[in-house]
Amino acid sequence: MNKQLEETACLYVLDQLDPVERSAFETRMLREPALAELVRKLEPVLLHGVRELPRHEPPAGTLERIEARIAALRDTDPEPEPVARRGWNPFRAGGGALALDWSSLARWGVAAVIAVSLATIAIQSLRPATQPVFVIVGLDADRSTFAELPQSGSAKDPDARFIQLATLAENFWRKPGDMPAAVASGDSRAYALFDPRSRQGFIVVDRLPAAAEGQQYHLWAVDSSTGRVRDAGSLPQDGADRGMYSFALGSDDSLDAARPSFFITVEEESTPASAPSEPRGKVVLGKGRI
Amino acid sequence: MPQTVDQASDEIRLLADVADGDRAAFRELYTRYSAPLFSLAIRLLGDHGAAEEALQDAFVKIWRNAHAYDPRKARPYTWAVTNLRRTCIDYLRKNRRAPSAVPLLDDDFAAPELHTRENIRRTTETHETSELVRSTLSTIAEPQRNALELALYSTLTHSEIAARLSQPVGTIKTWIRRGLLDLRAALKDATP
Repeated sequence: MNKQLEETACLYVLDQLDPVERSAFETRMLREPALAELVRKLEPVLLHGVRELPRHEPPAGTLERIEARIAALRDTDPEPEPVARRGWNPFRAGGGALALDWSSLARWGVAAVIAVSLATIAIQSLRPATQPVFVIVGLDADRSTFAELPQSGSAKDPDARFIQLATLAENFWRKPGDMPAAVASGDSRAYALFDPRSRQGFIVVDRLPAAAEGQQYHLWAVDSSTGRVRDAGSLPQDGADRGMYSFALGSDDSLDAARPSFFITVEEESTPASAPSEPRGKVVLGKGRI
Repeated sequence: MPQTVDQASDEIRLLADVADGDRAAFRELYTRYSAPLFSLAIRLLGDHGAAEEALQDAFVKIWRNAHAYDPRKARPYTWAVTNLRRTCIDYLRKNRRAPSAVPLLDDDFAAPELHTRENIRRTTETHETSELVRSTLSTIAEPQRNALELALYSTLTHSEIAARLSQPVGTIKTWIRRGLLDLRAALKDATP
């Protein structure tokens, strides 16, 4: 195994990779048993490293306080999410939560070679609207901006389109300045990349502060012609202020997906089953209509 | 003692039970993880009150996110440590506080623990391993050791560690890799 891969494995175990690097490493680890084995061998160092620390017992009553908080959560969230023992899907998929689809992510590796060139060519060569396009919506605190990027020649193949979309999302994740739907760079911002044909998309958030306890961020899609709003899912509460997540709007005729807009609100924490059907909370990104 | 495969498997089952809403399994996980996680939180935050808050948040997240745990990606303990570390980062960010980064080898304060037959045995075993970790760390040249300790015991990213130690990011990555592999080799030699 080469040193670079060993380095990445070490950084993975120490949680020192950014979300995109981490996702890419996990995808590779699931394919390569030797890499998984290296991680297994490194993990005990973390275990011993933590046990090496001077031992402090939590104050008496901590468990009871935690259980009280869990009991309070149960009013809106009766039990933890059903365990996905068959698939161990890391994020709730569909029906109300944004999903990071690992099997799909595996396909990103195939597309890595074309990543930068595809994005650059696509941005520079906007074509007539008759050609299939990806929609890009930039969101900041005050406004939304809209742009379209033409899909490449293999646009009929859903997998190829997904790879193109994921590649664009990853490229813009790495270089937000390349985003055609530019938004203010100083504060919180987000980019939604969306394929109107498959109704799949990615949302990239940047500098979005952690939601307050009991709250979560929610992504909404808007039919620009009718103003109809549709739930696109809730952002995972993982404590990071940056993230890239996939979403799918499903086949809902009530939403014309040709030219959607998006916005993000902060809502009361909920499960997919109890998620709000319409936005109730404050709009934090994408206030203005396109 | 290192975590055995059986122990990890047992904890995977516990997490699956937690995901099913099993309170007893949650309490068992708390019993196993709370002290090391609390100790790490104190290290990362430098404050007992903040550490307790972070510990509570981390366990609430364990309860809520147990369904998302994937045993192919990490052992339960690693997952829990990652969870706690991210919670501490979030805490520091929300409270706009500077991260704590006290050198490991200079810190020998520990809250006393009531002795029982079981924890006397565990303490003896842990002490032997701690001595090994400590002695291995002490053999690593200071700048490399600092990098590894900051990676293990602070909320800094490797880029921030590079800035703090005034070294290129690539150098920091190399130091962390070497240090981690050296520690792994020492532990492997000592624990059949």
